[in-house]
This record gives sequence, C-alpha cells and structure tokens, in this order.
Amino acid sequence: MNDPKKIRLALTTLGVVFAALVISFSLDLWGRVEPVRQLPLVDEEFLQPQTWRRSYADLVKKEDEDELLAFSCYECHEEGKKLELTYDKDNHVVVPDEHENIVMGHGSHGRNNDCFNCHNSENLLVLQTRDGHSLKFEESTQLCGSCHGPTHRDWEHGSHGRTSGYWDRSKGEYHKQDCVNCHNPHSPKFPQRAPAPRPNHLRVNPVATAHFGESNTH
Amino acid sequence: MNSQSDAPGKAPAPSMRRRSFLRSSAIFGAGAAALAASLKPLMDLEKFTSTEEFLQKHYKEMSPADMAKVLARISREVEKQYDVRPHVRDLRPMDGVEFVYALNLTRCIGCRKCVHACVAENNQSRSPEIQYIRVLKMPHGSLDIEKSDHNYDPEKVPEKGFFYMPVQCQQCENPPCVKVCPVNATWQEKDGITVIDYDWCIGCRYCMAACPYGARHFNFAKPSIPKERLNPEMAYLGNRPRKIGVMEKCHFCVQRTRTGRYPACLEVCPAGARKFGNILDPESEVSKILSTKRVFIQLKEELGTSPRFFYYFDV
Repeated sequence: MNDPKKIRLALTTLGVVFAALVISFSLDLWGRVEPVRQLPLVDEEFLQPQTWRRSYADLVKKEDEDELLAFSCYECHEEGKKLELTYDKDNHVVVPDEHENIVMGHGSHGRNNDCFNCHNSENLLVLQTRDGHSLKFEESTQLCGSCHGPTHRDWEHGSHGRTSGYWDRSKGEYHKQDCVNCHNPHSPKFPQRAPAPRPNHLRVNPVATAHFGESNTH
Repeated sequence: MNSQSDAPGKAPAPSMRRRSFLRSSAIFGAGAAALAASLKPLMDLEKFTSTEEFLQKHYKEMSPADMAKVLARISREVEKQYDVRPHVRDLRPMDGVEFVYALNLTRCIGCRKCVHACVAENNQSRSPEIQYIRVLKMPHGSLDIEKSDHNYDPEKVPEKGFFYMPVQCQQCENPPCVKVCPVNATWQEKDGITVIDYDWCIGCRYCMAACPYGARHFNFAKPSIPKERLNPEMAYLGNRPRKIGVMEKCHFCVQRTRTGRYPACLEVCPAGARKFGNILDPESEVSKILSTKRVFIQLKEELGTSPRFFYYFDV
C-alpha cells in the first residue's frame, strides 16, 4: 500500500469528499428540518381588555366638552315637557328617527318595550325604578337589580360580571364593571361576535396540514 | 496527514517539494475547514445554553445571591435577543394563599380572546404557535370531550346549540405531570401552582404524556416572539422567554397573580366568565362561587387529579 499514486488518489478523494461536506454544511443542504412557517400575528383588537361598550354615565364623565354636548338630552328635548310615546299595532314602542341607534330588544318575551319602564318621563337626566325611585345614571346597577335580583346578587359577590385589577385588595385597586358597560340596556343580550383566530397546530408535513384545515366539523 | 510529515524529510527535488507541499496544504486546509464546518452544530449549542446556565443550581437550592446572578443573566440574554430590557423577578408564593380558578360555562361565548391575551402576556412562541388555553366547542346537553372541536372558525360566536369550554392547566392538587418528571424540573408550589424551571427541564416530554388535559406544551422549534410584542414584566417561573427543547404550561400568570393582580385571561374575558382568587379567603369571589353556585364540575375528576380549576353554571 505504499504506492504513492494510490496514496495520492486516496488523499484527493478524501479532499473532494471534505470539500463537498464543507459546501453542504455551509449551505445547509441536509440535516435541517424545513423552516418553521411564519404565522400571521393576531389582531391587537383581540388583546384589548376594554369592555365592549361604554355606559352613558362613563361617556358623560369625559372631560372633552364637545363630546359631552351630543349626550345632553335637553339639546333637543324641551325641559319640563312630558314626553308622549307612540306604539305600533303590535303594541311595540315606536323609536323616533332621532334615536335610530336604539334597538329595543330587552328580554326574549318582548314585554319590556316601554321607555319609561326605566327612564323618567319628566326628567330625562335620571332613571327610575318601577316602584318610583329616582336613580342617577351612575346608579344604573340598582335599576337593573330591581328586576334581575339573583344576577345582581351574583354581581355583588363578583361571580357575575367583569372584574379587573387586583384580586388582593390590599395590594391595589380592584375594579368591577357596571351592568351597562357590557350589556346594552336597550337590548342586553350579548350580540354574536367574530371569534379570534383558531389555533395553527404544529404540522411539518404539508399534506397533513392541508387535510387538517378541512377537518373543521368533526 | 502522512504526506505532510513525509514532505520535508525525503526532499527529492525542489519542484516536487513545492508541488506536494501545495497539494498537501490544500488538502489539509480543506480537511480543517470541513472539520470546523462539521462542528458548526456544536457551536450553535452556545446559543441554547451558556456555561453559566449549564452550571446553575436547581431552583430550590439556589441562594438569594445565586438567584440574583441568574436573574441578571436572564435579563442580559433577553436584552441581547429582543432589544428590550426586561424586569425579571423571582416571585415566591404568598402566605395564606391558595389559588383557585372558576369558569362560568353559561357565560363563555367562545371568542378565544383569553387564548391570545395569554399568548401575549406569557411570551409564548408565535411561530410555531404555543397556546396554553384551548377552547372546546361542545354540543348542548353533553360534556363529552370526544365530541368537542377546538378548530371551530365560524363568522360569529356563540353558535346556536353549542357551548364553549376553555381548557388550560388545571393546577391539580395531585398532579400526574410532577410525578413523572425524572429531574424534578417541575413541582407544585404551596399556593397550588405547578411550575416549571425552564433551565432545569431536559425536554423528555414525560409530563406532556402524563397530563390528562393536554396542558403541557413543548418547544419543538426555537420560539419566536416579535420584539414589539414581548412582555417585559417577567418572572423566573413564569413568562420569561423559553428555549427550544423545554416544556411550558399555564402557571396562572405568576408574574401577575403573585403580585396580587388577576391573570391576563380573566381581565380580557369580555363575558366575565372567568373568576380567580384565593380559596383560603372566605370572602373571595371564588369562595363565594364554590359555596353558593349550584353546579360545578372538575374536568375528568374521575382521574383523581383534583383540579383547582372549577367549571360552574348559572342556573
């Protein structure tokens, strides 16, 4: 085996093999899994902890004077004048065009369809319970609770409704949302909403991924 | 390498010497480069585990001084990788506190906001995706997980005839995942949270197999978190960024809850279906729920894991 030609041949072959290895390693030609598919980031809207709506009481608390005006009843209504309601033939209250954003849908029975079940007919800046108590807009939870007793009780315990801040009250502020910060008082049932994106499972095999996308109904 | 030692010794003719020297040095050079290139994967190891981290003690054996060093290292590593200076803390359980979670199945609308708020809060990998919460859609009148679907994607939720059941780590009182860990990288703390030391985990995935709730997740690939979405408020046993090859799971947001705050999934829930608190405090929300609400279940309670995560209904 001392033939210099053979040695040279062997060394050259080895050299070629090593050179090929260098190229393959530096270009990652093998031994690497395919790159991870970059998934789109979820819309920031789904990360926000704000409530879905803001109550009238919260809105008028705003510092901005211009925005306040839009919420003052007596910009349009005449102060001290008793309001008259009109009803259609099915005995549903007719919402005037000025209040077109109000959709009456309180209760599946459809019986709570009178504005003055909750609003005061003589003073539009206050609410009133069915037993005649006048309540400020900030006290609306009591108005809701005057009919929805058990839910109000649960809300007081914290088992109904949204809370945020500190569970440990000694460490920081604890905040409980009023009914109307989540429920629209005119149609309190939660409307349907678009869900956040479904999970994208780790699948290396693209065929499996393709099938996976369709198996949505099992 | 033979030719190299032969070349200067024999010295037959100057031209031959030069040629053979050139050839052998070329071959040698190629060989060395190839060797270096073939060791490249080993060089990458440094990216996963620094010497400092390799020599680190177990969480429970670390002195406060050790921990301070470790936190400084983590802070340095995170800043290097994400250009964000994090606030990393080692938060210990609070005295007289045992956490319990309660989830109102009547209220959950299946919007999955909790899933994504959790990902954002806890610095989970976005690609590939790791999510601690899985929302199961189930037909009314059953509680059969076999019939559930977590890939639902309708235009609007909730869908008629279905209810939604988010499942995450149940923080069992008798956790099967802890029993199977061969290296003690996961354990239950006295406030009831089962935690993982990501620096101690060897990635064997026994716990993943042992968990009946599918709550444990493995970093099959290097986690990727966009810099602008990194949450800099971190805890050692909580949401600090993980590496490839380690397990992770829901830890009730220790970086929040051990400082007295609510978990992220609770605060984002638009329906107020999620409730959290200290069960040892009779005035807490969860105590009231467990003592006054008529129906509540523990998921797969027949397994004897005794979850600290309760599902209840409004009647």
